[in-house]
Parts: sequence; structure tokens; C-alpha cells
Amino acid sequence: MADFSWVSRSPLEHALVTGTHGARGVEAGVSLTEIRNFDLIQVMARRGQAAELAKAAMARFGVAAPDAPKAVQTSDATLIWSGPDQFFVLSKGSKHTMQTLAPALSSPASLSDQSHARALIGISGSKARIMLAKLSSIDLHPEVFPIGSAAATSMDHTSVTLWRGGNRPDGQALFNLLVFATFAESLWHTMLDAAAEYGVDISHSEELA
Amino acid sequence: MRIVCPFCGERELGEFTYLGDAKPVRPVAGASEDEVFDYVYLRDNVAGATSEYWYHGGGCRAWLKVARNTLTHEISSVEPALGAGAARVGA
Ligand SMILES: [Zn+2]
Repeated sequence: MADFSWVSRSPLEHALVTGTHGARGVEAGVSLTEIRNFDLIQVMARRGQAAELAKAAMARFGVAAPDAPKAVQTSDATLIWSGPDQFFVLSKGSKHTMQTLAPALSSPASLSDQSHARALIGISGSKARIMLAKLSSIDLHPEVFPIGSAAATSMDHTSVTLWRGGNRPDGQALFNLLVFATFAESLWHTMLDAAAEYGVDISHSEELA
Repeated sequence: MRIVCPFCGERELGEFTYLGDAKPVRPVAGASEDEVFDYVYLRDNVAGATSEYWYHGGGCRAWLKVARNTLTHEISSVEPALGAGAARVGA
């Protein structure tokens, strides 16, 4: 059998141009940062096994997995609600992969590796919420969508998982967005268009925020 | 029109897809041709209270059963369809 070497590449590697975009001569109102090389496993309870999965997840992560639209931080991962009886495990550095999670969770749940099936984009800046309001019908006001809130929703007719992470060091709210890899470029351009009037700062990072 | 998904909360119509009437029940094996014909083809055109299946494909991907009045568009209840969200409905 032939040997293959698989090189993982970002679905945004062509569309993402680091630097500034849109309005000039102003401090960028929106920062877009693509996070690259993450581990993302979707965990879905088997029929009738939701309670068993909750127990197994608690034992594995030390905190309860979200059973409502929330994102929960563990010591080395983020658990993000993605629908009834299902959640994502987002982490870095091969701590939570199919190999390491399967022994703990595969009895009550189906696991599927989504690491290369999604793009992860961090959105922040003083105009981030106003920009997102053009694309999303979710109320992202901090009183309604505080840190740890999550939503499975659509932006520009594209399914996304959106959640509010911890604030950036400068106190700005940070919104995280998971989008299907094949839709990432389209949504990226839509976000750039929506953000252009505020000035955009574009970057990519290997670090989970 | 907005639908309050029991899992996600209130969402715009664009996130949902309509499947159809939730009333017809699949006939048992060996049912008469008339019963099967009725199940497959015949639908009431209700002016008033209906029960419909909707799919939250642009959100949590759960199937929902929506009680809706076709005269007023008032939605009186939204519940998970059988099997959706086992923890919530105890299926
Ligand atoms: Zn939903």
C-alpha cells in the first residue's frame, strides 16, 4: 500500500490576509483571528444514554458537560453545547482526541472527529457585537448573552456554533465561531464586508483564546 | 414568524424547515389500500388549529412538533418530536 502523508491546511489559508482591512485612519473596531490546529470532537449521546453520558463526561472532565446552550471551561478544554444530548470538546495539543476520549465516552456516546471539518474564528473589538448584529438574529447583549453563552444558529444561511468566551485581556468581549470548513471562506468574506466600515484587524493564531 | 425551539429558544423562521402535517399516523402492516392511500396522499387543508413537523436545521438540528393556527399564525406549543433530545423528552 502506498504511503500517504496528510498535511492539514486551514480552509481560510487563501481568504485570510493578515493585516488591516476596510476603514483606514481609525483604530480597528473589529478583530478577526482564525485559530488553527485545534482538536475538536463531537460527542452525541446514544439513544437513551444521555444520563450515562452526563456521568461519564463528569468523570472525564471534572465538570458537567453543558445540557443547554452554554460553553463550559475545563482545565484544558472547552465543552460547547451543539444540540440536545450532544456537545463539542475543543482543545489543543492532542489532550482530547478520538483515541483519548473513546475509552471514557464511547459506551454511552458516538464520537466523531471534527478537527479538520470546522474553521474556528475569534471575533472581538469595540464594534464586534454591532458587526455580528448584521449577520445574526441572536441578541448578543452582555445581559442576554454573557460569558459562557452558546448558540447553534445560522449566519448568512450558514450553520454556525457561536459562543462567548472569556474577555480579552483588554476587557473586550470575545465571540468564538465554529463554521463548516467548506463554508468558512464564504462566511469569512461576508464578515469582512460587514466589518469593513469599522476597520478590521486580521490575524491567525495557534492558541485557543 | 418565529418559533421558540425548546432547546435553543426563540429563533427566526429562516432557521427552520417545514416538513408537513404531524397528524397522519403510519398504518399498520397489512392495512387496507384505502388507509395507505389516505396516509400517503390525503391531507386536510385546515383553517384553524394544526399540528406540524418543523426541523431546526439552521440551529440544533432537532425535529419539532409545532401546534399552529393557520388563521392567526399563533403558535400555541412547540415540543420535541419523538426521539429528539432524549434527555428532555425521556425517550
Ligand atoms: Zn433548536
